[in-house]
Amino acid sequence: MLSSLDISTSALVAQRTRLDAVASNIANMSTLRDENGDPQPYESRFVIFQTDDTLKTRNGAVGVKVASVETSKHKPNLRHEPNHPLADENGYVAYPHVNMTAEFVNALTATRAYEANVGVIETTKAMGAQTLRILA
Amino acid sequence: MNVSGVNLQSLAAASPASPGQKAAGAEAQQPFKDLLLKSLNEVNDMQVNADKAVNELLTGGEANMAEVFTAVQKADISFRMMMQIRNKLVQAYQEVKDIRI
Repeated sequence: MLSSLDISTSALVAQRTRLDAVASNIANMSTLRDENGDPQPYESRFVIFQTDDTLKTRNGAVGVKVASVETSKHKPNLRHEPNHPLADENGYVAYPHVNMTAEFVNALTATRAYEANVGVIETTKAMGAQTLRILA
Repeated sequence: MNVSGVNLQSLAAASPASPGQKAAGAEAQQPFKDLLLKSLNEVNDMQVNADKAVNELLTGGEANMAEVFTAVQKADISFRMMMQIRNKLVQAYQEVKDIRI
């Protein structure tokens, strides 16, 4: 019974990481330099999950963990802004390709998945309380 | 997380009043007292873990809220389970005490 609590918690942690990625993508939608200050448009982050068998139960139920955070393969958006300090020789500035619609849908699914897992935790708690009534 | 201290097979193995089960659980036999102490220790460990997690959360450590709350919840459930078992034991003791001789 308590292992299903752990499994649900692993999902909560994972979904929160996904929401962090969405926050990062939206926050950096107009970031033109990387962490070293070099001109390099931000690339959207994608969180990849994998099953986590450190939480494996006897019956084969497994938890989830973040496998990796990958960056988008999409090319940056080129905008013609010849007077921009970061414009290339043709007058184009590379802006990050962040798909707002996709990000918000991602945020919504992450939130709903989080809610669903909290729901599972509540059910587990209720089941535990019911089980204790056998002995009471 | 395991609560193997209270799994049914080891309970059956620990109880002398289960004929026919002796052969199966011969090596897994352990006194009920050990079983009780073991689960008591597990409950205590969980309380300590929950305490640690809450401390870490409140002092701005690396703790994740969901994990902390789960630790607290697990500690709560296992503690209530232990209390139920304790209540049952005390009740059994009272029954025996009230036998008139």
